[in-house]
Amino acid sequence: MLLDTLEAVRALLWPRTMRRYSSAVLLLPAIALVLVLVAGLAWMGEASLHLLDTETFDTGEDYTAANYREIGAQSTYWIVLGRSVLGAAIVTLVTLILAFPYAYVMVRTASAWTRKVLLVSLFLPFFIGQVVRAYGWLIILGREGLLNTVFGAVGLGPYKMIYNYPSVLFGLVQYLLPFAVLLIAPAVTAIDEEIELASESLGAHWLRTFRHVTLPMARPGLVAAALVVFTLALTDYAMPVILGGGTNDFIANAVYDAFFRISDSGLGSAVAIVLVLIATALAAVILTVLGAGTLGFSDERR
Amino acid sequence: MNGARSKAVVLWTVVAVNLILLAAPTLIILGASVTTGNIITFPPDGFSLKWYGKVFGSAVLRDAFVRSLWVSLVCTVIAVPAGTLAALALARSRIRFAKLLQLYLLLPFTVPLIGAGMGMLMLFGELGILGELWAVGLACCVINLPFMIWAVLASANALDADLENAAANCGAAPLHAFCTVTLPAVAPGIITGALLMFVLAFNEFLVSLLLTDANTVTLPVSIYNSIRNVITPDLAAVSVVYILVATAAIALLDRWVGLEIFLKSK
Repeated sequence: MLLDTLEAVRALLWPRTMRRYSSAVLLLPAIALVLVLVAGLAWMGEASLHLLDTETFDTGEDYTAANYREIGAQSTYWIVLGRSVLGAAIVTLVTLILAFPYAYVMVRTASAWTRKVLLVSLFLPFFIGQVVRAYGWLIILGREGLLNTVFGAVGLGPYKMIYNYPSVLFGLVQYLLPFAVLLIAPAVTAIDEEIELASESLGAHWLRTFRHVTLPMARPGLVAAALVVFTLALTDYAMPVILGGGTNDFIANAVYDAFFRISDSGLGSAVAIVLVLIATALAAVILTVLGAGTLGFSDERR
Repeated sequence: MNGARSKAVVLWTVVAVNLILLAAPTLIILGASVTTGNIITFPPDGFSLKWYGKVFGSAVLRDAFVRSLWVSLVCTVIAVPAGTLAALALARSRIRFAKLLQLYLLLPFTVPLIGAGMGMLMLFGELGILGELWAVGLACCVINLPFMIWAVLASANALDADLENAAANCGAAPLHAFCTVTLPAVAPGIITGALLMFVLAFNEFLVSLLLTDANTVTLPVSIYNSIRNVITPDLAAVSVVYILVATAAIALLDRWVGLEIFLKSK
């Protein structure tokens, strides 16, 4: 039998005495894959320490922090950073407000059919991808798009609804909704419905029950969702470029431009490294202060 | 009861807003793809499949589609064994430095895509594999790997370790026990993870944009390049490919695993 042959090969290559190292070996491929990313970051970190010679378009040999000083000195980068952080904060707030009731209804509904419809409605956009969804919004919100046609029919408009800040934020909310709902839902499932019923049977209005019972108990899910939504919004490239049309760049767009427009890989690397540091520090702070939420891989579940 | 009424009204209103937001782009693309006119207008000029014909006839789009499939396949083929083995190791044994290892394996999620993508662009350039399609697949696998590990881990944590021990006690050799006890038990997780990896790679835009050149553009990049010019209905017809792939993936996921798995608390 095939399996016996394989078993013999395994015994030869990996005798029982080696078993204590098994888990390390099982982890090797995954560790190696992530190492590709780490190596790339290290490479980029090194590149960020060299200055581009604007006359010869060669990168210098010497190590210098000049690129980082350049970022600090240019007001453009501060504006882009401020716009990205503010945008990510607004997007996170709006997304969570929309996502929580959705997750709640999806988990609590008595009808299996309703649950299925809500799940499919969530997964469909999640699986369709950012570019296609942004394209759909262009058709709806564009200058000669669906909404302006409707407005035109009643004598209004046309309104400019794309290539501005709100349209970027709007696109981000729509893009991130499924992430938020899928991270919140397990936390809602973990709440015993009896506790809510107890609160309500003691006379608490449902809003009070929500505020004092449901939301605090769903905190792990809300924390995870807030972290993921904020980071993904802060670092997004597609929505600012497609729905913002270059008028409302986020940090990722600034990185791209530094590399491909100004062709300054040192400066681009430095901006990217700063973004990586911001995102990592943010995740670290939130996770230490508020706990891993539903993001942790294994520890909490045992 | 009045309270229960107002609760249902408020919650369902928000859900309705969500549903409109989530469905609008998909519906509009479906509608626009069958218009008769040369530009997208509303109401549509009439029903026609001519844009689909144009898309099928376009070698550029067909090639981009095939390349995207190839990238997704490479990504999935690497991710399934690597992610499954890692998840089993994480679930089963007490590993030294477990916490540190978790943080390390979560790096693809915490490192912003533009950072990961630019880093890999520079690294791949140095290694001379930039422009290779399989390298794009590898990159997609790296950035989404936590999804694969997480999916298998969810199943593996539900597996009773005693089952594996029982198999071993009954004399099953390790590989035999693995194939007959462990693998079937985590199969739902592997299927979920594999579908996620495939679909996410098929959709991956930024990393594809960075790592492909004019000869190796994938479908999302090719759609993006066209959006920047004139928006014509043939683009909507291409986008329907995404809607079909997404629908197929959801149908498979629901049939093999059940979408409700995503609601389970850990």
